[in-house]
Amino acid sequence: MGEAQKGLLSVVEKLKGTTEREVRIVLLGLDNAGKTTLLKSLASEDVNTITPTQGFNIKSVASHGMKLNVWDIGGQRKIRPFWKKYLENTDLLIYVIDSADKKRFEETGLELSELTDEENLKGVPVLVFANKQDLATASPASEIAEGLNLHTYRDREWQIQACSAVSGEGVQDGMNWICNNIVNKKK
Amino acid sequence: MAEDDCEWVVESIVGYLGSPEWIIPVTDFMENKCTVFDDEDENKLSYTEIHHQYKKLVEKLLENYMQEVGINDQQFLDACTSPFAKSRTLQSVFQPVLATDDFQLFRSLMVQKNIELQLQALRVIKERNGELPECLTDGVDVMTELEQQELKILQEVLKKSKEEYDEQMSRRLLLEEELGSTSSCCPDKPMAEGIESTNAICASSQQSNTAKAKAEESGENSSISNGHHTPLLNGNTATEYNLVNVNPVRKEERKTAVPAGGQENGAAKSQAASKFNPDFGSSSVESRVLPAVRAPVKCGETSVSASLHTKEHGSSSQTAVESWLEEAHREAGFSKPFTELTASQQEQLQQRAVYLRQQRDKLHALKKEQQKTKQTASSDEAPSSPTPAPATTPEAVGQSQRNGTCPPPHPLPPAQNSTNPSKQKEISAEERKKLQKRKHLADKLKEEVIKK
Repeated sequence: MGEAQKGLLSVVEKLKGTTEREVRIVLLGLDNAGKTTLLKSLASEDVNTITPTQGFNIKSVASHGMKLNVWDIGGQRKIRPFWKKYLENTDLLIYVIDSADKKRFEETGLELSELTDEENLKGVPVLVFANKQDLATASPASEIAEGLNLHTYRDREWQIQACSAVSGEGVQDGMNWICNNIVNKKK
Repeated sequence: MAEDDCEWVVESIVGYLGSPEWIIPVTDFMENKCTVFDDEDENKLSYTEIHHQYKKLVEKLLENYMQEVGINDQQFLDACTSPFAKSRTLQSVFQPVLATDDFQLFRSLMVQKNIELQLQALRVIKERNGELPECLTDGVDVMTELEQQELKILQEVLKKSKEEYDEQMSRRLLLEEELGSTSSCCPDKPMAEGIESTNAICASSQQSNTAKAKAEESGENSSISNGHHTPLLNGNTATEYNLVNVNPVRKEERKTAVPAGGQENGAAKSQAASKFNPDFGSSSVESRVLPAVRAPVKCGETSVSASLHTKEHGSSSQTAVESWLEEAHREAGFSKPFTELTASQQEQLQQRAVYLRQQRDKLHALKKEQQKTKQTASSDEAPSSPTPAPATTPEAVGQSQRNGTCPPPHPLPPAQNSTNPSKQKEISAEERKKLQKRKHLADKLKEEVIKK
């Protein structure tokens, strides 16, 4: 029956009748990293009224002729166990880091490595946003990449992008990478 | 695969999606699970689990159907991808199926269902009650508006009662001067008490009334004597006012729990204190202590004088006194077995007091209208009560001296037990009746307002 179910799902997908290609993106990271701010800035929404996420947010962004469905799931420790449930059929992982929160670099690194070990994310490209570059105490992206051992990734595409979700700086560059990468990968 | 074959399959599928076999379980599921779905921007984690369950349900249903009808996956797939299936009209039929794969669609369906159910519930309520209860008619905005209104009324009431207290204060000071000589010494305190207790003990039909009345009076005394001082001493914010007023009442009751026998000395002292306070009353502490001390003392004279004020003020300041009347009455009713008040009971009492305070405030706002009319009535009373009152004082004191014999556990400061066996002046009886009437009215009102 497993095959039948797969068939059903694919049918359902086709039933939507959209010609647009949909991409499922999961946006993760520790609490206070700026995931929701980034999401809102992607969707060109107001970023001033954001509160800690207890559940999850979804935004659909049209870009490069694709529909990006971005899932932003709360990063508080008690919510992290739920991340796993949202990884299925994910086309891309965006991982957000608070570049000024040096004390938790180790913690965020552990979470990321746990994610990349997930079966559902096998081979899924990772975009790391080194967020909060607008803060004076922010570490540069290269330093963070080193701390995360990103260069050891062999089984997937990865990219680190310095950005400030508040000002929007660097966000579009990241999105461009996503679109290029996915287009290359899927076609 | 042939075109018409496809069409047949599609029609069959559409038919199935309109049949009870499909609709009932799917609708059931939605109605059961939709309550957590609100239209907040953020999704709850529980939505995901529900969506997952929904997926399973739909898949199971579709599989069963396909087995029954004999369509294989390929046919189903072809049928669904055929141009016929993609027509606008069929899209809506397929929505519940699409929702398995599209969380946002699923969410919007659930939110919609939730709203539908809410509207249904509102309709049912409307049908049953004729109209919707106020709390359901409008949104949050109106609620806050109401609260603001309430607050305004409350502030007005407080302001008014403060003014009244100020007035009372000045009057009281005046009276105090007049009575100064008599009230400074009081060997008859226990006596008055004695009367009280006799009354309390004997089981005449009037008894309960008397007791209640006493309670009222005590409440009045304490509240009013407080009222005199607090406005003067404190800045008189609403909270202060409440705090100061309520505490003494409680203290009073607690103190009364102490056996009255050995209290004479203390009583005399406190008497003195109470005497001084009004004169020098400049510290809030004193003013707070005052009523508490006075009550247990049960000095005939003080209380009488207090009650005199009470009467006077009672008429002039209906609003304030009435509320306190109720409160005192309630509290007294609650704590009848004073002598055996345990700590927990006292705690209860405190809670009760807080509760009562809240109720009183509500009552104030709601009674505003009625009070206007009442006040006009009371203005008639006003002239009559102060005049006879002074005359009563010596009488009452003498009475208590003569009769008072038994050492009494009864707590409440006596003052004018007009209706009780000891024949007090007629006027006080009249006043008492009026008082009771008023109180009765207030009680009724309260019942109507609070207990629906």
